Amino acid sequence: MEAIFLAFSLVLDPSVLGVMFLSAVFGLFVGSIPGLTATMAAALLIPFTFFMDPVPAIAAIVTTVAMAIFAGDIPGALLRIPGTPASAAYCDEAYALTRKGKAETALGVSLVCSAIGGVLGSAVLALTAPSLAEFAIKFSSFEYFWLACLGLSCAVIVSTGSTLKGLVSLLIGLFIATIGIDVTAGHPRFTFGNVEMMGGISFIPAMIGMFAISEVLRFIAAPNAQHSVPQQAIKHVFRGIGGIISKYKLNVARGGVIGAVVGILPGAGADIAAWIAYAMSKRFSKESSKFGTGHVEGLVDAGTANNAGLAGAWVPALVFGIPGDSITAIVIGVLYMKGMNPGPTVFMNQPELIHAVFIVFFLANLALIPLGFIAIRLSRTILLVPRHVLIPIILMFCVVGAFAINNTVFGISVMLFMGVMAYIMEENGFPVAPTILGIVLGTMLEQNFMSSMIKADGEFSGFFSRPIAATLGVLVIAIWVLPLIKMVFRAVLSRRVQQTKP
Amino acid sequence: MRKLATRTIKNLFVGSAVAAVLLSQSLSTAMAAWPERPVTLIVPWSAGGGTDATGRMIGSLLEQELGQPFNVVNRTGGSGVVGHSAIANAKPDGYTIGVVTVEIGMMHWAGLTELSGINYTPIALYNADAAGVLVRADSPWETAQDMIDAVTADPGAHKGSGTGQGGIWHLALAGMLNTAELSPDTVPWVPSQGSAPALQELVAEGVDVVTSSIVEAAALIDAGRVKPLAIMNAERVDAFADVPTLMEATGIDWQMAAWRGLAGPGGMPDEVTATLTAAFEKVWQSAEFQEFMNGRGFGLVWKPGKEFAEWMSSSDESLGGVMQAVGMAK
Amino acid sequence: MRLNDAISGVVLFIFALAVIAYSTTFPSLHGQAYGPSLFPTVIGSCLALCGLILVGRGIRAHRHDNQTTTSAPQEQEQENPKDLHGWVQWGDWVSDGSRLTTMLLVPGLLIAYIVLSDIVGFILLSIIIMTVLLYRLGTPLLSTLLIAVAGTVLLQLLFAKVLLVPLPPGLLLPWIG
Repeated sequence: MEAIFLAFSLVLDPSVLGVMFLSAVFGLFVGSIPGLTATMAAALLIPFTFFMDPVPAIAAIVTTVAMAIFAGDIPGALLRIPGTPASAAYCDEAYALTRKGKAETALGVSLVCSAIGGVLGSAVLALTAPSLAEFAIKFSSFEYFWLACLGLSCAVIVSTGSTLKGLVSLLIGLFIATIGIDVTAGHPRFTFGNVEMMGGISFIPAMIGMFAISEVLRFIAAPNAQHSVPQQAIKHVFRGIGGIISKYKLNVARGGVIGAVVGILPGAGADIAAWIAYAMSKRFSKESSKFGTGHVEGLVDAGTANNAGLAGAWVPALVFGIPGDSITAIVIGVLYMKGMNPGPTVFMNQPELIHAVFIVFFLANLALIPLGFIAIRLSRTILLVPRHVLIPIILMFCVVGAFAINNTVFGISVMLFMGVMAYIMEENGFPVAPTILGIVLGTMLEQNFMSSMIKADGEFSGFFSRPIAATLGVLVIAIWVLPLIKMVFRAVLSRRVQQTKP
Repeated sequence: MRKLATRTIKNLFVGSAVAAVLLSQSLSTAMAAWPERPVTLIVPWSAGGGTDATGRMIGSLLEQELGQPFNVVNRTGGSGVVGHSAIANAKPDGYTIGVVTVEIGMMHWAGLTELSGINYTPIALYNADAAGVLVRADSPWETAQDMIDAVTADPGAHKGSGTGQGGIWHLALAGMLNTAELSPDTVPWVPSQGSAPALQELVAEGVDVVTSSIVEAAALIDAGRVKPLAIMNAERVDAFADVPTLMEATGIDWQMAAWRGLAGPGGMPDEVTATLTAAFEKVWQSAEFQEFMNGRGFGLVWKPGKEFAEWMSSSDESLGGVMQAVGMAK
Repeated sequence: MRLNDAISGVVLFIFALAVIAYSTTFPSLHGQAYGPSLFPTVIGSCLALCGLILVGRGIRAHRHDNQTTTSAPQEQEQENPKDLHGWVQWGDWVSDGSRLTTMLLVPGLLIAYIVLSDIVGFILLSIIIMTVLLYRLGTPLLSTLLIAVAGTVLLQLLFAKVLLVPLPPGLLLPWIG
């Protein structure tokens, strides 16, 4: 109990609160620029944390990242360019709302759900860290293989329009993921001797290209087409949000749970959490046909999930020093530097610091509401700028963003290529979102499959030999087989009805 | 200063001999003034890893020392090929330097690149971490000898992990087996994307032994999930004084360490290299740096300039020998 | 630019075969049936299959297009919300000379940036790219120049100064280094 009071006094120090405020502004700014990810924001903070005490150092990172993940939704909703990969899953949905003149609702839901998700995730972290870490650390390559399959199944559920074309798009993404040196044998694939290609295709420039460059091309091809967005005032961000949240309270809970669970698993972060939550939302929705046309339900799930995932990723990081995502990989470095070496002993020896981390998490997510509101109010000017002025500026932002991920023009080449490809794909009814998911999950799928095969000496039964793996495996198979059975069942049924009618 | 330089260049075009003298003088002062703008510090591994952490620490301390920002840039991918190429191919003007790691002596043997240590201007080696033999806490193996006996008795049954295929920790295991006159296939390698996922596999009972740097398992050792059986070093290390060396534990005379050093592209001006080396030495000796490295358990080594070059070439040679012996070289 | 599914299908099929053919050159992991070539081959095979199905659909749709429009069933038409006549349908931007130029300018300017950025530098190229595009999209010349310069300065300050992204200085090195 004493430790908790001590923790409060550590956090509620004016200098710590000041650091949190500055970090929040920084996080909102970085997150809203496509190409600059939350991970990058955290990496940029490291030199500053060298000279801080442990609590403000961690507070800076936690606040920056929470703000950045929410801020990624803003350009996604207003321009159809996700600011961070975690917003890519539901970017189309949010933009569809904006085109209906409901940008206010889209951003309001994103903001409130992000905050709720963050608080839920923080609660999971604070209450169950040690026991959940126990569960997460039991995941081996077999379980991760099935998890990747589960993620891929989402592509098929999420994609709108033709399933065949969605599948083609997914396969293209999976192919792109195979470019570069493969981890299994260390052999360069499809690189044609190019050193940059050996590093693989980073999916951030690919994502910027597929969303932003294709949008630029579409606008130029048909400047007066239906893509124009109605001018709208974004004043009452919170109007009607209470109703939406209480209508979809189950979705909020589900998104929070999915986010926290996926976040806790090392190697799967907020982006994958958002995809799975969005797909689940569509799968179990009563109005799944409305998805993709500007329906808030999916936003509720996925917006909650990605922020919940952030706190989840700290669980294995704090308890075992195993990063839950790329952000906590950086955090672990900072923890070591501050003498808070991850492991169970830090919970026993320095409980006030651990409690302070939890308090910082709650505080950062609560601060999201007022600060995010200000960010939304500021961002509405984007919609007031005429499109033909905005497009060239967006293009240059994308150039810099694609460059910044690795500081090489190769990123810009990837962006251009993927942008032109995405333009042609969308013109012909191929959805682009599955390609992005394919790139994200391709490596995870292949590597865990290969590792598993080596471990099981080539026996496929290994994939069902462990309890969690078997459960996940059955779940994946059910997702693919059940709709087929349903279809056959319905076909048989309708034939019977037709036969009995005359 | 700049105005002077532009003026002297103008004069040179006029063809005055005096101007030529002036120019040469102003150039040498320009070199002495390095750095007069921010320096890019390339890290060939991703943000959050050990190399990145040391690179960022060095960058911020060098900035205090030399008064210009040292911006860390992660050029990742391709098992380090991308970043190492970027350092070697940069303009050798002192404004792009980078962290060079042990992989520079391995990539060319694997046929991934032409580059090796000789393509760089060595500044200094600052760290080396020995590989460990790490097993699950509830493993029946109590010593490294138990492990060797078990894998000899049942080749292929026990799996190892730590990095991708042909990575440094794979080499650590293969070299150990090779020195013990066992086939590298005795312990099949399960590739992973680095030490952390490999240690997770170890704890999740996916593999039986991990031969990554002992430092990276510190938290799991602390948590009582992983036990270190041996360290592949000539002597014991202070942070893990209870852990015997591989030689002590098994009589296998095999050592393997991952190292990190600061280097620039080949052909950097001597003045710049000298300034940088002197500044880096101060940084290395500073209390902040020592505290940081000890805090994370990173091994501290200091080998400036030529010594670093010699270190690179001997490391290159021994790595190549092992890679050929175990069939990883092309 | 809309293509008949048959054309997309043929392109995918050829691409898939190329992927599979190239994959056969990858070495195998010693003594195992699966290696670096497994995933590309599986992906290639699936793509080839999808390509063939698309070809089938495309030909059916094409034939259906050419039939006198009467009693044909409508269920396949979900794929093509707007009817596609013939094999390829270029957008109307192709016949509009000015829009065609702008359309080609986007990749052209980006390629110019990729090739020249190290030599010329970010600031100059960014001003040029923004000026050209803004002007072509119909912004008056004076505002174009203002926006291009202001936008570039903003980008340079934000990225190079605040976020420490090493944007290439190029020709302006003596002044902004």
